[in-house]
Amino acid sequence: MKIEEFDAVVIGGGLSGLRAALELSKKWNTSILSKVHPVRSHSGAAQGGMNAALGNTEAGKDDTPERHAFDTVKGSDYLADQDAVMFMCEEAPKLAIELESMGAPFSRLESGLIAQRPFGGAGLPRTCYAGDRTGHTLLHTVYEQCVREGVTFYDEFFLIDLVTVGDQIVGLVVMDIRSGELIFFHSEVVILATGGFGRVYRRSTNALINTGDGVGAASRAGVPMQDMEFVQFHPTTLFGTNILITEGARGEGGYLFNNKGERFMKTIAPQAMELAPRDIVARAIETEVREGRGFEDQYVDLDLTHLGAEKIKERLPGIREISIDFAGIDPIESPIPVQPGQHYSMGGIGTKYGGEFGETSLKGLWTIGETSCISVHGANRLGGNSLLETPVFGRHVGRILLKNDSAKYISNNDARKAGELAIDSIEALLKKWGNNKGKNPVDIRNKMKETMDRYVGVFRVEDELHKGLTQIQQLQRDFVDIYIPTENRKFNFSLLRTLELRNMLDIAEVTAFTALNRKESRGAHARVDFPKRNDREFLHHSMVYRRNGELNLEKKPVKLGIFEVKERKY
Amino acid sequence: MSDEQTFLVYRNDGNGSPSYERYTVSVKSGMTILDALFYIQDHFDPSLAFRYACRGAICGSDALTINKWPRLACKTQIAFLKENEREKKKKIPELYFGEVPNWNEETEILIEPLPHMNVVKDLVVDMEPFWKFYREIMPYFDANWVDQAPEKKQTPKDAKSIEHLIYCVLCGACWACPVSAKNKNYLGPAQLAKAERFISDTRLSPEHREKVNSRVMKEDGVPACEKIYTCSRVCPKGVRPGTAIKKLRETT
Repeated sequence: MKIEEFDAVVIGGGLSGLRAALELSKKWNTSILSKVHPVRSHSGAAQGGMNAALGNTEAGKDDTPERHAFDTVKGSDYLADQDAVMFMCEEAPKLAIELESMGAPFSRLESGLIAQRPFGGAGLPRTCYAGDRTGHTLLHTVYEQCVREGVTFYDEFFLIDLVTVGDQIVGLVVMDIRSGELIFFHSEVVILATGGFGRVYRRSTNALINTGDGVGAASRAGVPMQDMEFVQFHPTTLFGTNILITEGARGEGGYLFNNKGERFMKTIAPQAMELAPRDIVARAIETEVREGRGFEDQYVDLDLTHLGAEKIKERLPGIREISIDFAGIDPIESPIPVQPGQHYSMGGIGTKYGGEFGETSLKGLWTIGETSCISVHGANRLGGNSLLETPVFGRHVGRILLKNDSAKYISNNDARKAGELAIDSIEALLKKWGNNKGKNPVDIRNKMKETMDRYVGVFRVEDELHKGLTQIQQLQRDFVDIYIPTENRKFNFSLLRTLELRNMLDIAEVTAFTALNRKESRGAHARVDFPKRNDREFLHHSMVYRRNGELNLEKKPVKLGIFEVKERKY
Repeated sequence: MSDEQTFLVYRNDGNGSPSYERYTVSVKSGMTILDALFYIQDHFDPSLAFRYACRGAICGSDALTINKWPRLACKTQIAFLKENEREKKKKIPELYFGEVPNWNEETEILIEPLPHMNVVKDLVVDMEPFWKFYREIMPYFDANWVDQAPEKKQTPKDAKSIEHLIYCVLCGACWACPVSAKNKNYLGPAQLAKAERFISDTRLSPEHREKVNSRVMKEDGVPACEKIYTCSRVCPKGVRPGTAIKKLRETT
């Protein structure tokens, strides 16, 4: 058995993982594993920006972290943990400035300060940006600092499972994608930063690699999935490929029109109009289309033409490029066809009540970024808060861990034995997949995505959710008998995609299960049969454990006490 | 539109000599080369290897040589290739991967790996030399991090001046450069463009600017460029590395 030893291992080379590794590498022998080269990570696709109450603009000069926190909590439909939100919003200006000092090429105001634009769910310009490629520039900036600091990278290494002894994590089973070899990474501190998992849906803005590998692995190790029913559907994804059209396009003044030429947001959010929070705009568009006021019964128009060529070229060049390359439309001349699509996973790996931010119930296991549920987004995330969360909690978890010296609680012998067992069981699984005469995982994957789009989408209702859950559970049974060639493991992408599917099926099942059980509407979770929020019964986090193949739903209290729980109106 | 399209795909298990295989895929409206590759992997040959991540032309994973021209597979519409066959007649030096058996240029789409890099498997190349040269130009700020307001200022004009260089996704398409083909020590167009991104950033410390500058002005850097501008022609993100190299040459 090949073994690698570290004080800490970070899984995921996106912004969260890079920032955590950067911190930990100061003192500890740390490595960062990523299934793609880090600059390929999905953080790079974030367009619009990163929220921070810097107050750099005239319109935003009275902004404060408290106002930011209030907007975030309100946006979350009061499901976010308020202590975590407050912490994030207080850290926000520091992290924006830190990123600038690392070289991030933010757009600038005439004053020379970092430029800020308005985003949905906030009444003023709070979102720092670099054109409409903010994520790309931040990802490169933090990666550059990792290069500078000599952080240890394992690029193109795939996380398969966690290895535990008792209630302590001792490492990971990992596949070196290039050779196909299974390796035991021995470490008693593991940080999962494996990103979102939108690829359980077909209509998704997510990168193809966003398959929830960390969520699946943690769940198999007994760590619950938290708030999985809360799936953000971005209102404006490009019809066809569902590539994201940033909220910044509306922030810069874009209008939404139905096929009658009406700005339909005026009846739904007369004040905020197109800049109402994402869940509200997504449902408004879905309603227009369902009631026959869309185009081709599929989409509405996002019109930027009145902004003029100059503003579009300067502020939204990436959007223009995407529209031309993927839809053959120049937004200077014609409106962009948009429809809602899965965009962000508010839920994720469950965190421990009363623990540090990002700490899980499994000793030594931490989680940050989209894959975690810390929970700063509650039932609905505000635009500009996801880029923000990544460096905030990456740095924070790094700092918390470095307060103590690195230590090992389990003997090398016991850890290695556990590693060997885990590798043997994966070998057995791969061998079985290679010898079966069973179903094709491609069909199972396609059916899973269709089921999720159809039954666990923007609007939800009891019988559809039930149907969705039953179908996913059938797919789980089909998956046991799949056949996939596993002999030649070198860059065997079909095998990797099957290992990803193993995680996604678990995620899809829990998403449908929790959506069925939450009989209320809150944030992104819109139940047609229970249209009202019900704080009396449901103001709590959903924690799902998988025990002996059965799903068990438990509750975790929401951290309240800073902002009063109110009705959410815009 | 529903049409049959034949793809001629470079295959190489890394052990023997390369081969080309034909696959015929039924094409839907809006289908890209990346979609076609997934279709082939899902339906014809699960062993076909190619890299991918975002499918939205921002991550830089899937640069391939398509009809003898380096492009991002996700950004290349099949219909576009068919309608713009003439485009490939534009001049870049020929990219050769092996004898292509009876390629019908009018009807078949040829898919090969990135040029001038070693093939690991099928369309997957070894990018390590690319990253090694990237690290060599010291592509980072060297200042201590600070996190207290106010941030360092920069004028909008100065910020704007490096914007096109920041769009680089490090995909490797520009390594189609004929100098990269013959000189394994050449830092490469993307790497030199990255150096220019740092050198022309007004916020960079003079000491670090000097370090980057002296590295890229060595023999295997800027002086090795032969001003062929293949890099600028093929760049899928409009970075124009050739122009960046020209600027490096002129300002130092």
